[in-house]
Amino acid sequence: MKRPLKHVVIVGGGSAGWLTACILAAEHTIDAESGSFQITLIESPTISTIGVGEGTWPSMRATLKRIGISETEFFRVCNASFKQGTQFFNWIHEKDSGYVHPFTLPQSFAEANLAQPWQRSPNRIPFAEAVCPQLPLFEQHLAPKQISTPEYACHLNYGYHLDAGKFARMLRKHAVDKLGVTHLSAEVEQVNNHDNGDIASLATTAGTISGDLFIDCSGARSLLLGQHLGVEFCSQRHILFNDSALAAQVPQSSTEADIASCTLSTAQDCGWIWDIGLPSRRGTGYVYSSAHTTEEQAQTRLRSYIAATAGEAFAEQIEARKLNYNPGHRAKFWHKNCVAIGMSAGFIEPLEASALVLVEVAATEIADQLPANRQHMEHVAKGFNDNFHYRWESIIDFLKLHYVLSQRRDNDYWKDHSDTVSIPDSLAERLQHWRYQSPWHQDNRQTNEMFPAASYQYVLYGMGFETQPSHTQRRSDIKAEHLASGYFAENQQRSRQLLAMLPSNRELINKIHQYGMQTI
Amino acid sequence: MNNHQLLSYETHGNCRVITDRSYTLGDGIMHAMIFATELRASQAHYPIFFCKDNETGTFYPAALFGFEQGENLYLENNTWSASYVPMIVERHPFLIGFKSQDGAADANRAPVVSIDMDSPRVSRENGRRLFNDDGQPSEFLGQSVQLLDAVHRGHSDNKGFIEVLLRYDLLESCTMDIGLVDGTQRKLLGYYTINESKLRELSGDILTLLHAGNYLERIYMVVASLSNMGTLIEKKNTRLQPDRH
Repeated sequence: MKRPLKHVVIVGGGSAGWLTACILAAEHTIDAESGSFQITLIESPTISTIGVGEGTWPSMRATLKRIGISETEFFRVCNASFKQGTQFFNWIHEKDSGYVHPFTLPQSFAEANLAQPWQRSPNRIPFAEAVCPQLPLFEQHLAPKQISTPEYACHLNYGYHLDAGKFARMLRKHAVDKLGVTHLSAEVEQVNNHDNGDIASLATTAGTISGDLFIDCSGARSLLLGQHLGVEFCSQRHILFNDSALAAQVPQSSTEADIASCTLSTAQDCGWIWDIGLPSRRGTGYVYSSAHTTEEQAQTRLRSYIAATAGEAFAEQIEARKLNYNPGHRAKFWHKNCVAIGMSAGFIEPLEASALVLVEVAATEIADQLPANRQHMEHVAKGFNDNFHYRWESIIDFLKLHYVLSQRRDNDYWKDHSDTVSIPDSLAERLQHWRYQSPWHQDNRQTNEMFPAASYQYVLYGMGFETQPSHTQRRSDIKAEHLASGYFAENQQRSRQLLAMLPSNRELINKIHQYGMQTI
Repeated sequence: MNNHQLLSYETHGNCRVITDRSYTLGDGIMHAMIFATELRASQAHYPIFFCKDNETGTFYPAALFGFEQGENLYLENNTWSASYVPMIVERHPFLIGFKSQDGAADANRAPVVSIDMDSPRVSRENGRRLFNDDGQPSEFLGQSVQLLDAVHRGHSDNKGFIEVLLRYDLLESCTMDIGLVDGTQRKLLGYYTINESKLRELSGDILTLLHAGNYLERIYMVVASLSNMGTLIEKKNTRLQPDRH
């Protein structure tokens, strides 16, 4: 029990596996010679990665920097573009409705809650536009920085859109060449146990690999945690119905075509369509509920979306790839000496791109608290499970919030989403609370919340939610109101400055390819 | 936009170029790019920093002349009060153009001398003549062509110098708050300097390499130039309060 933890074995070589390997190896120096610490990643040569997770949160910047990857290299290799938020279309009403969830926090978010003053302001403009300078830039497809801005620094907060297959390959090369991770291309054939039920070793087509900690990044099949250790799967289909996706790639119309600054999310009758702009192509897909529509109808929806955005001729030819999944997560994420990261831990749906960020958070937590030995692992695992139960609950509530706030009733899909039996108590309670108080820092139950109060504000007020004015005259409100007009004006001013100085996404990405970004 | 013309006796036989230095002649610049080859001459007069090119984000060394956009504290009574003027300033209104030679690839294009006819330096009445009466280039034009040639070569020298500085992590960002005699402050942003602690930590092997490439001398020229910061502040203070001594 007190033997030092020396060997981490990761199963699965998608973005989850390689990102986990990089994050662990960037913190814990690998010394294969003395054997004091090593990481082996077993990747099946035959199983292809699902490769749909193509949007990241801004956290990916810190993650890549921590791993030691040059941002210039990342842009060049991964066909990456800037993601500055999400634009939602037709989520509120069936037609002509929209709002934006930008990545940049509201103006002066640390000190002032502008939600109340905004709600009471006469002739109010959309919430995000009033408090965030980023919005007018989206219309012009502008980048969040200049070529002279150092790597990973920015004028406006951003994450990435990327080619997931290329991303995994870049991480693999970095993990193996720079960080000393051992790459084993083999199939896992059998899992061998210790007497206590811990995993002792994996019998593979390239020999038996023993280890102290096994990280399951095997995707939805959850080879170790689910299949071998039998940790139960908790379906969330009763809350979030989407369980199918049709994905298709659309080439950019030209090498000079505008690249969108945001993920575009357009609600449909039984789900929504994502649209992610990379320099050379757009990734699109319809994620829907198979209980509410058929694959054929879904095909038609996706084709008509592509026809409208890329032309009829192209829509005729697309070959959409069908993906089925069960929305939900494991009952626990770390069991015995095995922890699941990525789809093997769970997957709900691509809305809000929470898949890669969960990998970052999980791997970082393990890197920060790597158990010293098996005894210590009990404690670390318990904390990890508590944290991730809370995180999954937060994600489910946050995703469901988008559907609950919708006023669409054009189809059973949307009606069922608004049915109270489908709404988790935790979300119902918070919605009650937000009727009287706008989301604010005090709502945080953890120091490391998945979603800051700003995210709830952007979704709630973007989708037309109203928080009632306080029944007492609050001095803090008066103070905030007094400051608010100044903040709103400052925000407009900042927007104008940025419009004048920032290049387009296309222009900046071309320059990154040509000149590279400086590190300072 | 600009009016750049290929220089020729036929077109520019009567042109003259004014060589005075003043704001109206376009010398109101806060800093100018300098080339690795002129670091030694420049460091005697100006503080030298590194800036980023707005178009490419790449670094270049620059001599600092003032504390805000458009301010050049070296301009006094139509002259430049330093005995060395950086080449990139000195070359005006001439510039290098490239002429395609009968379908030659871009890399083989021949450099040719152009003149910016919109420059306030170009005159019919005043200044130095470009051509002698016999149509031959004047001595002044000859010097200007040499200067352009040096500028042309200087760009690739700079590239090598910057690559070396970045490779050994020898640049660092510096934000300067300058307090002036009238109690106001000037903030200089977007300037970079030699990271002296990194420089001191370099191993003997690397120092030998830097020395062999003639980079070590250049690095120390930049370091030494910073003592001109005091001179520049003094120039500014004198303008703010001419009678304070």
